[in-house]
Amino acid sequence: MATVQAEKKQAFTMVQAIRSALIDEMTRDDSVVTLGEDIGIRGGVFLVTEGLIDMFGKERVIDTPLAELGIIGAAIGMALYGLRPVAEIQFIDFLYPGFDMFVSEAAKLRYRSAGEFKVPMVVRSPYGGGVRGGSYHSQSPEAYYVATPGIKVVVPSNPYDAKGLLISSIRDDDPVLFMEPKKIYRTVKSELPEGAYEVPLGKASIVRDGKHATVIAYGAMVPLAQEGAVAMEKEGVEVEVIDLRTLQPYDTETILASVAKTGHAVLLQEAPRIGGYMGEIAAFLAENAIEHLEGPIVRVTGWDTPFPYALEKAYMPNVERLVRGIKKTLNF
Amino acid sequence: MDIKPFTDTPIKFLEYDGKPVGDIASLGLTNEQLLVMYRWMVFVRAVDDRGYILVRQGRAGFYAQVSGQEASQVGSALVLTKADWIYGDHRSQGSQLVKGLKGSQWFAHVLGRMLDPTQGRMMPHGSGSNELHIVPPSSTVGNKITEAVGTAMAQRYRKTKDLTITYFGDGATSEGDFHVGLNFAAVYGSPVIFFCQNNQYAISVRLEEQTHTKTIAEKARAYGMDGYLVDGNDILAVYGVTKLAADKARAGGGPTLIEAYTYRYGPHSSADDDTRYRPKGELEMWRTQRDPINRFRAFLVGKKLWDDAKEQKLLDEVKAEVAEEFAKAEASSVPEPLTVLDYVYAKRTPHLEAERAELAAELGVS
Repeated sequence: MATVQAEKKQAFTMVQAIRSALIDEMTRDDSVVTLGEDIGIRGGVFLVTEGLIDMFGKERVIDTPLAELGIIGAAIGMALYGLRPVAEIQFIDFLYPGFDMFVSEAAKLRYRSAGEFKVPMVVRSPYGGGVRGGSYHSQSPEAYYVATPGIKVVVPSNPYDAKGLLISSIRDDDPVLFMEPKKIYRTVKSELPEGAYEVPLGKASIVRDGKHATVIAYGAMVPLAQEGAVAMEKEGVEVEVIDLRTLQPYDTETILASVAKTGHAVLLQEAPRIGGYMGEIAAFLAENAIEHLEGPIVRVTGWDTPFPYALEKAYMPNVERLVRGIKKTLNF
Repeated sequence: MDIKPFTDTPIKFLEYDGKPVGDIASLGLTNEQLLVMYRWMVFVRAVDDRGYILVRQGRAGFYAQVSGQEASQVGSALVLTKADWIYGDHRSQGSQLVKGLKGSQWFAHVLGRMLDPTQGRMMPHGSGSNELHIVPPSSTVGNKITEAVGTAMAQRYRKTKDLTITYFGDGATSEGDFHVGLNFAAVYGSPVIFFCQNNQYAISVRLEEQTHTKTIAEKARAYGMDGYLVDGNDILAVYGVTKLAADKARAGGGPTLIEAYTYRYGPHSSADDDTRYRPKGELEMWRTQRDPINRFRAFLVGKKLWDDAKEQKLLDEVKAEVAEEFAKAEASSVPEPLTVLDYVYAKRTPHLEAERAELAAELGVS
């Protein structure tokens, strides 16, 4: 059985994996539709939806007028009616015109209607820096959304997870913000089994075992965390790397078990530090793992600035910064 | 039916004194249906009067009366079928009652009781019902407009003959949602009716300070759809125009903008002081000369369908019904504190479970 599956495996980029998830789910369930700017004949600016309009027609692969407010609003209305819309926001920086609809309506309609209504929709959107896109094409705004009860926030770091997490997100009965790390859209490849599979929401994965320190990351920072672990290995330090995969709800058990083992937590994100997502993980560890900690909880992050264009390299977390952070807690 | 879009003056079927001026026969309404219309308006006003008193009594935190706008609400909602969807705003209780929300559910909502389908989770004017296809309004004005379009797109995708109507005020037409929503609906030919209750005030700001167009209906031109200016205090005209828009939507003809020119009797809400901005005599003029209920009653009397005895009987009936509905609401329980952690997601997350345990301990319950 394992051999048969292995034979069918193919190497996919994240873009191909996400596209494959959309095709599988749209084939399986006619309540799944997708809408967004340029997703039809153009196939999306990153080609995630390439060819879908030919496979499923323009009633299900809906090119929208240029208004993110309308994309989010219409998706909510579709979801309330019983469809499972997947909205593409071209860059997550463009979600703000639809922010009110997402956080005031999609997030809260279930709660405020005591479960009368549900909003099973996914907002897919590329996020993050390292692509020379400047402020409007590089931000990591997850903290805004994580701070809104009612929304789930998912960030894959590799093609295998991307497909399984997106399928789980589409099948989920709550609104999901699915953040796609565009820097690694095509740089990482995974072998994917044929057909649909789920990667459960709310479960982190340990992508590298180690016993001396834990680096917690998500999205495009996971490959960087692995690089940092390799760098530390040369110095005899075994770093465990956790990929959170889902930021809301997050997997407390995996984090806690790892930090209990290593005694050191380094939290890696590319968003600015103040009010950033890793502040939550730091607070969680401070409240629940104090007896295991042998050094300070260290955050390695982007700077507390808007996202720059020409100075992008100076902004983005890098291996040196991460190694410095790991040493800061180890040498405490 | 001779109803034209983009008129300079509101379309009407009745003069203010109830004298017929339009082609009422073309509406195809039976005498019985005319009486149902009247009864609904009387009932909606009675419910509203009772609801507003609750704020005065300190039993509710907020109330926004729909009084004065009954013809707009009832006349349009009577066109809808059970399968159609409503996205209303904070002055939409009339259409919600016509759509099937029980008086007891409305009062329970105002009181924050469990009989409210949404279990008292929103301040008054935020209730809804999935079964009745009434989506809870939002306080951020205009938010329901693009959602309504999405539902209409889905109705079209599912190849139904159903439609969606969204109610909003004149102020909401300044929000981006209005422009985006109308544009989307026109582009997709969605079966949606944009029903603007133009009561001439967005809290205190008058229409001429809200927009530079003479009417709201004419804005429809910019999106390539028809816009109708209708006398919102003439229930027959409202019914006729909405029916026309609904028939068109069901036949695949796309969206319509309706501007119902009307007037609210109460302040914006119980938290507002309308004496600060209304010119002297204006409210009195509308109440005494243009009231939608009096106007329609005069028409019914003229048709020999109504008289003082019938009026008294109806008022007694409605009074008893409102009292009965209110009693049911009052008898309903208040939500349990522990349920504050429910319905955030389909299932409570581990974090919410932990918080629930914390609250349970705080409350001394399990």
